[in-house]
Amino acid sequence: MTELLHMPRRLREKLRPAWFPLAAIGSFEWYARTAGQGSDALAPPTAAVSALWRALLDGSLLEATAFTLGTAALGLLVGTLLGVSLGIALGLSRRAAQMGFFSIEVLRPVPSVALIPLAMLVFGFGVRMEFSIVAFASFWPMLILTQAAVQQVEPRLLEVSRVLGLSPAQRAFKIILPAIVPRLFVALRLGVAVALVVAVTVEIAANPHGMGYAMMIAQQSLDPALMLAWLIWIGVVGYLINAAALRLQQWVARRMGAPA
Amino acid sequence: MSAAGFLDFDRVAIHLGGREILSPTSFSVTRGEFVCIVGPSGCGKTTLLRAATGLLAASGGEVRRNGKAVTQPSREVAFVFQDYGRALLPWRSVKGNVSLALEAAGVPPDQRDARIADVLGKVGLSRHADKFPAQLSGGMQQRAQIARCLAQKPELLMMDEPFGALDALTRQSLQDEVARLVRDEGLTVLFVTHDLEEAIYLGDRVIALQANPGPGRPSLARMIDVKIERPRDQLSTKEHPEFLKLRRELFAFIEQSHD
Repeated sequence: MTELLHMPRRLREKLRPAWFPLAAIGSFEWYARTAGQGSDALAPPTAAVSALWRALLDGSLLEATAFTLGTAALGLLVGTLLGVSLGIALGLSRRAAQMGFFSIEVLRPVPSVALIPLAMLVFGFGVRMEFSIVAFASFWPMLILTQAAVQQVEPRLLEVSRVLGLSPAQRAFKIILPAIVPRLFVALRLGVAVALVVAVTVEIAANPHGMGYAMMIAQQSLDPALMLAWLIWIGVVGYLINAAALRLQQWVARRMGAPA
Repeated sequence: MSAAGFLDFDRVAIHLGGREILSPTSFSVTRGEFVCIVGPSGCGKTTLLRAATGLLAASGGEVRRNGKAVTQPSREVAFVFQDYGRALLPWRSVKGNVSLALEAAGVPPDQRDARIADVLGKVGLSRHADKFPAQLSGGMQQRAQIARCLAQKPELLMMDEPFGALDALTRQSLQDEVARLVRDEGLTVLFVTHDLEEAIYLGDRVIALQANPGPGRPSLARMIDVKIERPRDQLSTKEHPEFLKLRRELFAFIEQSHD
């Protein structure tokens, strides 16, 4: 303990956010190995980590992760493409916005997981039912945020595009899209989170594939260590993806002339 | 009006929200002329310029360029906005902003670099081609916007209080640069300002508008020719007897139209 106090200040500051999780994990470990021993619901974190290691070695970890991430990415891609293009159209044309308003406000509040029975009937189990629900779920935030972003594009820039004689396609790709990129990234980070949540939910509830299903199987076979392992792993994956999206956002912002 | 002129304003009137901003106004601009429009805020000078560009439709009358009614913007007419900070694309470098005009005009990519270098040289921004607008001073940003306008190869340049937001020294040097560019390129200019001295210093002709037009009080209040030889000079021109006489005349008018 005295050694820790003598650490360089910078290192101590860097470790500061780690104290709480370390303490929580430590006391959990202690509890699971004493009072909670033999529980069917809880396992010590060290057991979870070794279960994670075994899942990595037997290939099930990578397979399930690839399925969930691949399906979520595909759904997010489709939802984003549709949401952004429709959002631009609705943002540019007041008439289109008026025409779409009612349909959007009726469809948007439908919880995406409520579509699981329908998607199962239409597509059966597998990639298609999961990705269609993810696409539906991520479509709405992308649509609404893109529409708002387009409406906030500097009007002067639209005048510049008129005076310079840009074609409608040039206006969309050279003025509007770059102008909404910062807001689009906020929408995309939201979309990433939605896509992961929905993908795992669909797997837990219905689709016999991916990380959510693997966690369910571990729970049903009374293997709390493996279940906990999946829970930890899903958290780690979510954190890494969000961090990567943030890095990408900062990189694009620098490339687009944002002051550092 | 007999033959079609270069730019004809034919009883152009502007109403906003049911109020008359500009009473029917007619005048003509000949090719190569530098015409300044002065007047107090709210006299419709910017609106008149925007109508002449085709950015908005006049409530009455029409503007004709080369005999054809102006209904929408044309690449032969460039527009320099006052708020350069908003008119430049913040995500494009100076070079990229100039390039936008060439991309719009369909100039092949292999010819763009030479033309960009040419116009940036003309406005003295060659060394800043790769900087982004946020890295430039206000004067340099306005130079970048002027460069983009020159890249359009316009025959008519509309300038809406282009130096209004700049400090006095920057404004003077940009005035001289614009005067030189306009001569070199053989441009026709319509220049809106509320600065009398700037109008007289730059213009071949100054048109003074007054606010709150009504019966017996037309918007177009004065039209004076500035017969001071070019090139003009910030010191000697502004001490020229003719300059002082015109300044006095316009100043008195602005004073009285404020009552």
